[in-house]
Amino acid sequence: MNVKKISKLLPLVLSGVLMCGTASAPLTASAGEPYDVYNYDRWGEAIPSQAGYTAERSVSGIDLGIGHMKSPSDIFCDADHNFYITDSDNNRIIVVDSEFTRVIKTYYGFRMPNGTETKLSKPMGIYVSPVNGYMYVADNKNSRVLIADKDGNFVSEITKPDSEIYGSSRTFLPQRVLADKAGNVYVVLNNITTGAAMFSPEGEFTGFYGANRVEPTAEIVRNYIFNLFASEEKKAHKARNVPSGITSFDIDGDFIFTCSESGTQTTDTVKKLNAAGNNIFANLQLEFGDRVPMYDSAQNKLMRTAIVDIDIAEDGNINCLDYTTGRVFQYDEDCNLLFITGTKAKQLGGFEAATAVESCGDSLYVLDSSKNTVTIFKETSFGEIVHTANKLYNEGRYEEALEPWYEVLKRDGNYRRANKGVALALLRKGDYKGAMKYAKLAEAPNIYNKAFEGYRREFLKAHFSQIAAASAAVIALLLILSRKRNKKRASAAASAAKRLEEDDQELKKKEEG
Amino acid sequence: MMDLTQREWVRHAVTHPVEGFEDMRWKKSGSVKISFFIVFLLFLAQIANGRLFGFQFGVVHDKTFSIIPYLVQSVVIFAAWVVGNWAVCTLLDGEGTMKNICIYSAYSLIPYIAEVFITVLMSHILIQDEIVFIQAVRIIGVGWTVILLFSAIKSVHQYSFGKTVFAIVLTIAAMLIMLFLLVLFMSLVQQVWVFISTIYTELTYRLRV
Repeated sequence: MNVKKISKLLPLVLSGVLMCGTASAPLTASAGEPYDVYNYDRWGEAIPSQAGYTAERSVSGIDLGIGHMKSPSDIFCDADHNFYITDSDNNRIIVVDSEFTRVIKTYYGFRMPNGTETKLSKPMGIYVSPVNGYMYVADNKNSRVLIADKDGNFVSEITKPDSEIYGSSRTFLPQRVLADKAGNVYVVLNNITTGAAMFSPEGEFTGFYGANRVEPTAEIVRNYIFNLFASEEKKAHKARNVPSGITSFDIDGDFIFTCSESGTQTTDTVKKLNAAGNNIFANLQLEFGDRVPMYDSAQNKLMRTAIVDIDIAEDGNINCLDYTTGRVFQYDEDCNLLFITGTKAKQLGGFEAATAVESCGDSLYVLDSSKNTVTIFKETSFGEIVHTANKLYNEGRYEEALEPWYEVLKRDGNYRRANKGVALALLRKGDYKGAMKYAKLAEAPNIYNKAFEGYRREFLKAHFSQIAAASAAVIALLLILSRKRNKKRASAAASAAKRLEEDDQELKKKEEG
Repeated sequence: MMDLTQREWVRHAVTHPVEGFEDMRWKKSGSVKISFFIVFLLFLAQIANGRLFGFQFGVVHDKTFSIIPYLVQSVVIFAAWVVGNWAVCTLLDGEGTMKNICIYSAYSLIPYIAEVFITVLMSHILIQDEIVFIQAVRIIGVGWTVILLFSAIKSVHQYSFGKTVFAIVLTIAAMLIMLFLLVLFMSLVQQVWVFISTIYTELTYRLRV
């Protein structure tokens, strides 16, 4: 009897144990990544999400057959989809083909017009202009920006400007470089906080571009008030308020995007600058990187976001590389967070000291200066759908984006961009009720407002006769009620007056009697 | 004259901002029960104000709902007002008892409560462009309540205009002091609690050895 009971109960118990096991499994939305994939909701809380990119492989110098790379610092993908890597401590630039299988060329130096060779010394940044095909190399230890063609011929160089604006006591150590369509050259320099140095196509220094602002912290405000009353002598001895410098930048058409790695600063970490150097993101209250810095108990420190490199993809998406956590934050052109990829780890997909990010086609390339590798991230199928939908959405083709957004929601119901996209598409289509539902899910009051306006208009149109009849009935009822009440009051007053009169008469009678 | 039931007195007081409370005082009317009910309605109104507005007028984070702030915004602040006013006005030759201050102040809150419920209803019918209507109702409701509250204090203590203003300013100061002391007291209690719990933990560790 007992045994029978137990054997009956056993499967139940077993299934219970199994269910407990599955319920307590970690919340990993996708398999394969050595980290939990997450996204942020409207309230800045991290929620599990699907991965948009997955690490495919990592490539080292040995894999490419050119020996170990030593502290590589920058990677660039040119118009022909060839990759340029500055192998800083080996004093060379490596050109790799688009598949990352073969080295096309290695530059140690460039041929001068007089036949001699000029060597590179710790090249830190590289840019290849799609207009003239020249390479712009930030030749850090040589204190110059070197411009050369792809055959290895020296074209020109930019050295420390002999200008009062630049200041003779400052060093000239180029870190990153890029050139715009007109051939103006922009250089990010070590230890210079006044912005990127800007040079004309002829190599003439024309000024600084896009300096960061000083964040108005309590200390800064206090110093400002103090300085209003302080003497010149006192002011000279006080520490100056200096903004953090630009760490890296990228160009996309007419706009230059800059980033700053300062962990303590929250303003101007990522900027979108127009030709005049004005920041378009300045007053949008955008946040980049992790909302709440993660606390690392092993090192007893806060992992504050330090965005060391920025890259603008061909479709306008913004990739920001966070050195502290080894994460790539991908935003769309309106700075909506799309994906968070990568971590700090030894495994594939993790980094020790991520220094540069580059995108090409549907892949992300992250350079690690400690592992001396390039990690290649491929777009997942989820990422592909999101990117297609987002592209359609940003072009204003909301209705065409509807199908892909539905597909995104099928895979990740918490994906806020998708709810927003569906809401806008339905609004455009005239399905106001559906738009209201999805606007609520996306927590987007402005879209909800528009949808509600349409819904209300349709509701009033459809039910106008009922509403009119009901309001007429209510008004009539109120009128009747108030008339009745008036009558009641009048009769009550009349009876009261009568009573008074009777009382008076009785009194009189008594007096008479 | 003026033989009204308690409910009719509420209506009379609210609709006659100048002499309503004087009449009530003359007739020694007003009910504590009704005033408590009004404070309860105020509590509901504050919750409705914070949570039930139409989605187009703002998003609320449902995950973080807590009843405490709403309790503080209604019951605690009303109690602080009554106690503070009583404390101040007994020193300033006020004639009102605590019971009367409570009743009169509660009655004068009715326009505000009505305004909140009306605007919450309106927010589900209107869109963002029509927010002026909500603002208009809001201004009327709050203004009415302020006038009533002023008249209530004036007649409950039989003050002149100037003295009422002075008393109200002092009452607000008293409320702030009380809330400050309350916070201080709470943090003290918390520290004592932490102290006791630490001793308890310490003891349990020792006992185990």
